[in-house]
Amino acid sequence: MRKSLLVAALLVLGSFGLAQVKIGINLELSGRFAAIGNQTLNGIKVANLQTPEVLGQKVELVICDNETSREGSIACAQRFVNEGVIGVLGAISSSMSIPAAEVLQDAGIIMISTSSTNPQTTQIGDYIFRMAYTDDFQGKLAAAYVVKDLGAKKVAIFRQIDDDYSYGLAGFFDETAKKLGAKTLVQDFVANTVDFTAQLNNIRSFKPDAIYYSGFCAEGAPFMKQLREQGFDQQVVGADASDDPQCPEGAGAAFDGYIFTGFATPNLIPDPEAKKRAEAFKAKYFEVFKDAKPGDFNGFVLAGADAYNVLVAAIKAAGTTDVKAVRDALANIEHFPGVSGDITYKGTDGTPKDRTIGFYQYKVKSASDWTKIELFGKSTAEVQ
Amino acid sequence: MTASKLASRSTLFSLFAGLLFVALLGWRIASMPDYTFARIVQDFLNALTLGSLYALIALGYTMVYGIIRLINFAHGEIFMLGSYFAFYAMTLTPMHWGLALLTTVLLGGTVLLVLRSLFNLEEPKRTFLLALLIFGGTFFLLAFRHLGWIEALLLSMLATGVAGVLLEAVAYRPLRGAPRESMLITAIAASFFLQNMGQLLFGPRVRGFNAETVLNQPRSFAIGEETVYFTGILIVVPAVTAVLLFVLNLFVTRTRLGKAMRATAQDAEVAQMMGVNVNQVIALTFFIGSILAAAAGVMYSIRFGQIHPLMGLMPGIKAFTAAVIGGIGSLPGAVLGGLLLGFIEIYVVSFFPTLSAYKDVFAFVLLILILLFRPSGLVGEDLTEKV
Repeated sequence: MRKSLLVAALLVLGSFGLAQVKIGINLELSGRFAAIGNQTLNGIKVANLQTPEVLGQKVELVICDNETSREGSIACAQRFVNEGVIGVLGAISSSMSIPAAEVLQDAGIIMISTSSTNPQTTQIGDYIFRMAYTDDFQGKLAAAYVVKDLGAKKVAIFRQIDDDYSYGLAGFFDETAKKLGAKTLVQDFVANTVDFTAQLNNIRSFKPDAIYYSGFCAEGAPFMKQLREQGFDQQVVGADASDDPQCPEGAGAAFDGYIFTGFATPNLIPDPEAKKRAEAFKAKYFEVFKDAKPGDFNGFVLAGADAYNVLVAAIKAAGTTDVKAVRDALANIEHFPGVSGDITYKGTDGTPKDRTIGFYQYKVKSASDWTKIELFGKSTAEVQ
Repeated sequence: MTASKLASRSTLFSLFAGLLFVALLGWRIASMPDYTFARIVQDFLNALTLGSLYALIALGYTMVYGIIRLINFAHGEIFMLGSYFAFYAMTLTPMHWGLALLTTVLLGGTVLLVLRSLFNLEEPKRTFLLALLIFGGTFFLLAFRHLGWIEALLLSMLATGVAGVLLEAVAYRPLRGAPRESMLITAIAASFFLQNMGQLLFGPRVRGFNAETVLNQPRSFAIGEETVYFTGILIVVPAVTAVLLFVLNLFVTRTRLGKAMRATAQDAEVAQMMGVNVNQVIALTFFIGSILAAAAGVMYSIRFGQIHPLMGLMPGIKAFTAAVIGGIGSLPGAVLGGLLLGFIEIYVVSFFPTLSAYKDVFAFVLLILILLFRPSGLVGEDLTEKV
């Protein structure tokens, strides 16, 4: 009896000595968005190497792969509720973020989606934050670019109807494009569609000047391949889901000239201080991942890193690991010097105030020989 | 109800369904002013391309069912393995000679063992020659050349055929004689196992399958002022499907092994009593079915340009649907079902653009209708007749 008491006491003491702050990570590490998911995870890992401790305790990353499915994302969220983490980073896509956010909000656990852009995500509750801008900005910017800068009078829009992000984004794009006087024609597809020939035949008589694609690369690669095969040579513009090596690697030269909006890379960040931080982080990234290709580093890596950084900063500011206190600290963060730019949550619904959207273009010779050109960056503050 | 009554009822049903379809088509085309002749032709070619791909996958599916009455849910995963084997054959060659030697010994050894058990190779001289051919050929292909898609296809068909036989030996043979439900559940488990093994072995990422072949060269011809586009796949896949259908039919009806297959299909126990080696026949069926899956997988990957470990799921379900619509167990039925499915998917999007997200639903509704009104499928006449 006495012995077991002693053991128990030792165990308690031991656990104090090894106290750890647990942060859950709910990402798409396999399935359709595997490439983006792993880029985000790498960003989080590098940030964790840079700041491995907070309040004198080691930060433990609990990684959960949601397999790019809603069920998987909910299962990950429930697992984190049971394990009692302070906060959860992820998921990357809106379709996986929204169901997880509902679980975590009910349980009172902080969630920072790294790249969900659907406006709904942070509306779910006061424990839900994001690292990205929202799709109303992204859609507006893209539509203004296509209609004003490219001078398109008719735009065909392809949206993935069973995805919150793609559907919402296409809606914002359509709205703005119409407002600016362009005609639009929307075509739908669902996840895992590989044959787009019928949809492409549908836009033939419409004779579009430009095409907007709001989906992901798993469908985007066969889409672009068939688009070019079927004789369409119009400019195609996509969104941040296209910022994924699976696009040029999947369809090769069909992606040559493809323009898309996405998270700003260091070069496009207007604030010189933030740019310096981003450059330093990029150097660190390639130091840690020596085999990484230049195309592997993008805005998703920065978003992942900052989701981690901002949560750790909030824990530090709160001075405790009490979830409620940390949430309050997070909601009051102002001008946090993140590697993706300045982060301010104070007075917002959990969407950072000033974000930069970059415009990029793929230059693709073949599936293994491609680069991404940075065209220009626009900050969301500028648009407002 | 007598057989003739049943036949007349189903003929009436087909007639009614056909008339309804034609009426709907006419009404829809008439209400679409910009649906030009060129677009009609374009849709037709697109549907033929997609449908013949489904038909090719469904052939292997229906073949296995015909012999052992097993819905092989892992067929889609075998299809995925075939794509990956071809992918690696194209991207990893020419290999370092040491690696090539290792792969040759592993692959060639397994192939030889499986082939020996399949074809009763007892004569030592012949076996030796075959071994020489397999080891030498594999080593030569892997070590010295950058493989084109045709060599990759052939190598992949061989490797996938062997993988299919191994799957049968591990997952299905121990359950011979067990209730059919057990086999079905094992098939689903095998499917999940292969999906997850694929994620571990090949990585979860989507990979580009960039075979620069004549098959995916864009081609076009003019109709009036408009242009219609297609790729080489449109010609090759229907041709391959037709040839395979012909050869398989010949094999099943004219050869000794084919006869043994039909005997096994009719009654495995009695066939065994008559001296047919049932295990061998079933393994051979899996070998052929998996070869077909590999061929379909490579064609599909060339067409759509990318592969991933879960790629077999949807084509597998589609092929199952096609096989059931056509009459499961019937080879021409599988081809008919595949084509029908392709046409439905294209024309639903074309005629009802707002419903294009539900194109799969239409295919499955057809499946339900067929199961309700003609459970033996469009071609399958009698449930006892298999293959």
